[in-house]
Amino acid sequence: MFSLLQIAVRNVLRNKRRTAITLAALLIGVSVMVSIRGLLNGLQRSLVQNVVQGQTGALQIHRAGFLKNVLSSPLGLDMPQDAAFERKLLSVKHVKAVSPRILFAGMINVADQTIFLGVQGVDPIREFQVVPLRAKTLDDKQQFASGKVADAMVVTEQLASALQGSNVPKGAPAALLAPDRDGALSGENVTLTGVMKLNMPGEKKIGMVRLDVAQRLLKMEGRATEYIVAVDNIDNIDQVAADLNVLLGKDYEVSTWEDIAAFIKQAMQRQNFILSLVASVFLILMLLGVANTMLMSVMDRTREIGTMMAVGVRRSKILGLFLMEAATIGALGGVIGGAVGSLIVLVLNRRGISVSFPGSNVPFTIQPFVTPTYLLTIVAIAGLGALLFAVYPAWRASRLRPVEALAGG
Amino acid sequence: MALVQLQNIKKSYQLGKTEVVALKGVDLTIEHGEFTVVMGPSGSGKTTLLNIIGCLDRASSGSYKLDGDEIGHRDFNDLAEVRNRKIGFIFQNFNLIPVLDVVENIEFPCVIRGEDRKALRERTLKIAAEVGLTPYLKQKPDELSGGQRQRVAIARALVTEPQLVLADEPTANLDSTTADQIIDLMLKLNREHGVTFVFSTHDPRVMEHARRVVRIHDGVMEDGTDAAAHEAGRMHAAMGH
Repeated sequence: MFSLLQIAVRNVLRNKRRTAITLAALLIGVSVMVSIRGLLNGLQRSLVQNVVQGQTGALQIHRAGFLKNVLSSPLGLDMPQDAAFERKLLSVKHVKAVSPRILFAGMINVADQTIFLGVQGVDPIREFQVVPLRAKTLDDKQQFASGKVADAMVVTEQLASALQGSNVPKGAPAALLAPDRDGALSGENVTLTGVMKLNMPGEKKIGMVRLDVAQRLLKMEGRATEYIVAVDNIDNIDQVAADLNVLLGKDYEVSTWEDIAAFIKQAMQRQNFILSLVASVFLILMLLGVANTMLMSVMDRTREIGTMMAVGVRRSKILGLFLMEAATIGALGGVIGGAVGSLIVLVLNRRGISVSFPGSNVPFTIQPFVTPTYLLTIVAIAGLGALLFAVYPAWRASRLRPVEALAGG
Repeated sequence: MALVQLQNIKKSYQLGKTEVVALKGVDLTIEHGEFTVVMGPSGSGKTTLLNIIGCLDRASSGSYKLDGDEIGHRDFNDLAEVRNRKIGFIFQNFNLIPVLDVVENIEFPCVIRGEDRKALRERTLKIAAEVGLTPYLKQKPDELSGGQRQRVAIARALVTEPQLVLADEPTANLDSTTADQIIDLMLKLNREHGVTFVFSTHDPRVMEHARRVVRIHDGVMEDGTDAAAHEAGRMHAAMGH
């Protein structure tokens, strides 16, 4: 015994060459879409990881108004840097670690050269707990983190290059100058112990000193201008941000990495938009192929449609038959294309793709991946899209007059 | 009550800007159990007449009663229902569904109306045996000879237990031996089951067996309809029912 669905499936298998060509178009389209999505997922995950674990942390805490005035280095908008304040922050659910920073602008003098720079005062061990990828950008992480050289300072390769060609001798003495919290020019002797690479595009002339050096220089003992926060799971940041806001009140502002590195978020949105556009074009081309196949099928089978009508098949069932055939092709193409695309993504995931951002010299590895939800969605879109694009051919078939159809159209 | 009653049936087509009149007022009555042949040269309107009787097409004007019901103005789905329940078709080109095997082709009209599968299968096997298809039940149409295909079409036309079977040139694509067998088979079914057959044909052998010959020319029924054969059909019907 049989049903209309079985007839539809048999019809799909009937003209093997035509079905194979249509399926090939769907397969290529869907597998390319899955592969591109996989690459983009991998790239975006790496982007977020680089930002969150290499620069900003998942969240940052500042005094209210700090970010609006960040260019003027508002040292007055500071906060306590002590155990009590940190315990308070760590009491919030999902917060894994916190680390204080002082950000300021100043000048560095090496031999007879003086250059303006941005400086970060950090507590190295805790800094590398919150942003562990940052440790990898230092050529001598141990030296800086150990505190053996109390006045150690690392600078970016670009700054080192500007200071002394590309050749800064390790251990070279330098003077760090900056206006302190009260606006008076202050200076500290530092030792250039190494260089760091930039893992993200942005300001290139940057230096990093230990927090206590910065506090001494700026007359800010026991103070910090920001805390960076690590969370147990990046998906929890909105909840953590809300809880911290409640805890700290209106004197503080809590920002997520998306607020701080808004350009990354925007870049990801642009990438997703472009992918959607490309995917839509692919999809429409694929589905036009399905529509064409169905139209040819209707033309080839006009007499058969007439026979079905003659023995009493209603128009709605003729429509349903052709829609089922299109949906079968669409779903089949979607499933096979999804499987091939997943395989490509899996191979790329195992191998990894090494890239670095423009403006950065720290390579990182992209590991493409796709989610089951995306795969299911793409299969559903292929099936439903094929159904939609087959409406016209199927409708034409169902509107044939039995007499004309029996005569072969 | 007559099975088919046509009164002043007219049919015209629009062919570009020209109106082609295919039937110019046909009156025809066919009784239950008749074995009727509609004859006429190409373009005479006999296929149009058969299409209207088979509810595949609608008359431009006139009255058509099938088994007492006026069906001339019913919509597509109603007519599909009428075709499915009351009329069987046998085509010149057999018109089987290529993806279905012999049993499935025979059962197709009953499956689409949702008939009980077990009873249907029993009836199908019986009809298949009667038309000599038992050895070929699982074959696809393209694995059958012309004669075998036409037997499948006959079985498909009969499985719904219709009141009327329309056959449009059923022997035109068959060799003479096979054509004879097919005609004998249809005569037997007419005789034994009282199924009403209406043919359109050029085949003189079919006409030899016809109890009634209806001639049509230029869309008009000609005089010379065999009244005696008509009467024989009536008698047969009376005995059969």
